[in-house]
Amino acid sequence: MLDHDVILTMKGIEIQFPGVKALDGVDFELRRGEVHALLGENGAGKSTLIKCLTGVNKMDAGTIMLEGREIRPTNPQNAMDLGISTVFQEINLCENLSVAENIFIGRQPMKRGQIDWKEINRRSAELLERFHVHIDVTRPLSQFSTAIQQMVSIARAVDVDAKVLILDEPTSSLDNDEVQRLFDVMRDLRAQGMGIIFITHFLDQVFEMSDRMTVLRNGHLVGVFNAGEITKLELVSTMIGKDLDEIFDLKRAEQKADAGQMLKADHIGVPGKVEDISFSQKKGELLGFAGLLGSGRTETAEMIFGVTRMQNGTLVIDGREVKINEPMDAINNKIAFCPEDRKRDGIIGDLSIRENIYLALQARRGMLHPMSRKEQDALADKFIKMLAIATPDADKKIRELSGGNQQKVILARWMATEPDLLILDEPTRGIDVGAKAEIQRLMLEMCQNGMSIIFISSELDEIIRCSNRIIVMRDGKKAGELNGEGCTQADIMQMIAGEKAGETA
Amino acid sequence: MKSRESIFKNKLTWAVIAELAILIVAGILEPNFFSIEFNAETGMLYGSLIDIVNRSAEITIIAMGMTMVIALGGTDISVGALVAVAGAFALKFLRWDVTQYPTPGDYSVMPFILVIIVPMIICTLMGLFNGVLIGKFKLQPIIATLILMVAGRGIAQIATNGKQFTTGYTPYRFIGQGSFLGLPFPIIITIVVCAAVMIFVRKTAFGTFVESVGINPNASRVTGLKSDRIIMIVYTLTGFLSGIAGLIYSSRISSCDSNNAGVNYEMDAILAVVLGGTSMTGGKFSLTGTIIGSLIIRTITTLVYYFGITSESIMAFKAVIILIVIVIQSEPVGKMLATRQARKREAGELRG
Repeated sequence: MLDHDVILTMKGIEIQFPGVKALDGVDFELRRGEVHALLGENGAGKSTLIKCLTGVNKMDAGTIMLEGREIRPTNPQNAMDLGISTVFQEINLCENLSVAENIFIGRQPMKRGQIDWKEINRRSAELLERFHVHIDVTRPLSQFSTAIQQMVSIARAVDVDAKVLILDEPTSSLDNDEVQRLFDVMRDLRAQGMGIIFITHFLDQVFEMSDRMTVLRNGHLVGVFNAGEITKLELVSTMIGKDLDEIFDLKRAEQKADAGQMLKADHIGVPGKVEDISFSQKKGELLGFAGLLGSGRTETAEMIFGVTRMQNGTLVIDGREVKINEPMDAINNKIAFCPEDRKRDGIIGDLSIRENIYLALQARRGMLHPMSRKEQDALADKFIKMLAIATPDADKKIRELSGGNQQKVILARWMATEPDLLILDEPTRGIDVGAKAEIQRLMLEMCQNGMSIIFISSELDEIIRCSNRIIVMRDGKKAGELNGEGCTQADIMQMIAGEKAGETA
Repeated sequence: MKSRESIFKNKLTWAVIAELAILIVAGILEPNFFSIEFNAETGMLYGSLIDIVNRSAEITIIAMGMTMVIALGGTDISVGALVAVAGAFALKFLRWDVTQYPTPGDYSVMPFILVIIVPMIICTLMGLFNGVLIGKFKLQPIIATLILMVAGRGIAQIATNGKQFTTGYTPYRFIGQGSFLGLPFPIIITIVVCAAVMIFVRKTAFGTFVESVGINPNASRVTGLKSDRIIMIVYTLTGFLSGIAGLIYSSRISSCDSNNAGVNYEMDAILAVVLGGTSMTGGKFSLTGTIIGSLIIRTITTLVYYFGITSESIMAFKAVIILIVIVIQSEPVGKMLATRQARKREAGELRG
């Protein structure tokens, strides 16, 4: 009976949360030496299944077998001891400790009763070599980029004698090169016989890397597919259970010829971060910002919204020159901003959905003009319905929602202020295909109704699909402008690479 | 289905239960514990319960401010010193030049209004000082307030030339020793102050803003909240409330004692907040819980005195009871109880 290729079997997993059945009889099987993608929309139960495997959530029913023995992980440490290592989407490391300390925290090699620092540093460096990361491991982690930090957390996970490695959205903060480097490491580990569970929203990556795929929907198992058995489109429709035409039927917002000017940025900049950015935007225009991570897209947005103080240049909004020193000034000028780092700059985790929605509007009204509970409820209910936020009620804490639904709440917070200009920084990152399409549809609808939107995204196809015009950023400067209509990914990439190409020519 | 919410509410429930349990134990051991008598001569009600509420006034008032300080993820350890400051300046104004007015009789050198207002203004400014250090200069709260914790008592000493003044001035003594509507006057002050703070916090958006900044300062700023201003208001308010508490305390003892007034008040105030269910990590807070927390602390102290437990063991006794209350309120225990409750409810639904 026992299949020796199978390393991990989960059978009939059931988890009950207050009010919802998060998992209902889900089976999952992982083989030795395979990359197995776990797919589904947000709220489908992927994270819950992983948490159950790592002992964060307790199962109400079902069994987990690891190498033929039944296990019941009680906490992540216990799961790790059993051979199940996890790299979470949000980096779980201590920024103020050195890279080496982070890798060996909690299991420092000892020598004569003392921590053997030499050994720690040597082994850490060695380990990172495998990932082609050459850094000084004694420097604090905070000095390195997110990508390096991600590599460190993976190094840490694989160094403990892991049989099963879970990668939960490992690529969401990496650029293409870094993703390839990670994939090389994954291939290595696969060749060594490790079973890898790979969770990602990037379908290209799923098709590039995985051997098999398990799809969940609403806490149920929908199917298990071998790579090559299923097309990308089929996979998407399996995940969301909807017709594909419905999702991809998005039309760029029509640009009215006589639309007035919304925003004019004239040589704005913060020395050392972004410099000399000039552009203008019409009312009802969706302006895309493309460029690599760190090219100055986010910094430009933060400057317009007053998160960082603009030091050079002038900003004209709706025909008036304005001075924006802090977010409140921007809000008073009817600008809104959904930040890139939802967890750090967006959600107020312990507050309810209702409170998270009414907060920006309340901040603008001032604390002495409170909205009544009735108004708050009406506002929350309106947006929960309008954006189809999946929640039993408005008083659920926002941190208990899935990423896509959190993003919708933040969007609702800003829509409630009825802005003229909405800046969206990576609004679709880390959320699933269905929610992504919904947010794109919503953006286009708002533009059609006269709102101007600045849309920042790393995904070129969605930028091209939605934008009227595209501004390409490179190294903290504006590299150029393109028309959304008729623009191809190659055009944008050429512009991103532009200068280098020019130099060699 | 609001599981989290109910755990939070449970904390308040547990505080009430703890308070009642302590009172019941007291009632069993000493039936007279609950008796309240009216003294026609002073026009005041007497009894252990009245005494508990009366004596908890200073901590309750300070803890109102401390609740929001803690909700912001901070602490204010200067409140005890501010109590001493308020008392010192009040007595300074009552006696001014002690060589000229050597006996502490029924007089005040300065107008009574100054005796009350100036110490409160000084404490408010000291609170603002804390707020500026923490809100504008981003110092860690414990370090920032440590400055006035140390310097405050020094300032109090300077105000009174290092002497301990006493007073017999009746209007001043009324604050801590008088009565109104049969209740000791500190109780009246406490009721007014608590009501005012609660109205300010919950009838405006201030409470939500404080919670928001306490939970996620970055996101709050991006949402348009001026977190430094909110921080300054909270610390200033706490300074002001410490001033009121300082006047009550010094009036109770008819004197100022810069070395001993308000000693350990910061600890008791923090404890009252925590017992009331507000987490030290900041975020959601409960002012009602804090009031109950303060009552618990005072009830334990009164109980201990009442049964003649030796003064050496008071602290240990207090610690044990507080330990029990806090463990019951802790998250793992709360989760355990909530799960058990949910299971029972489910079982009931199945049967029904």
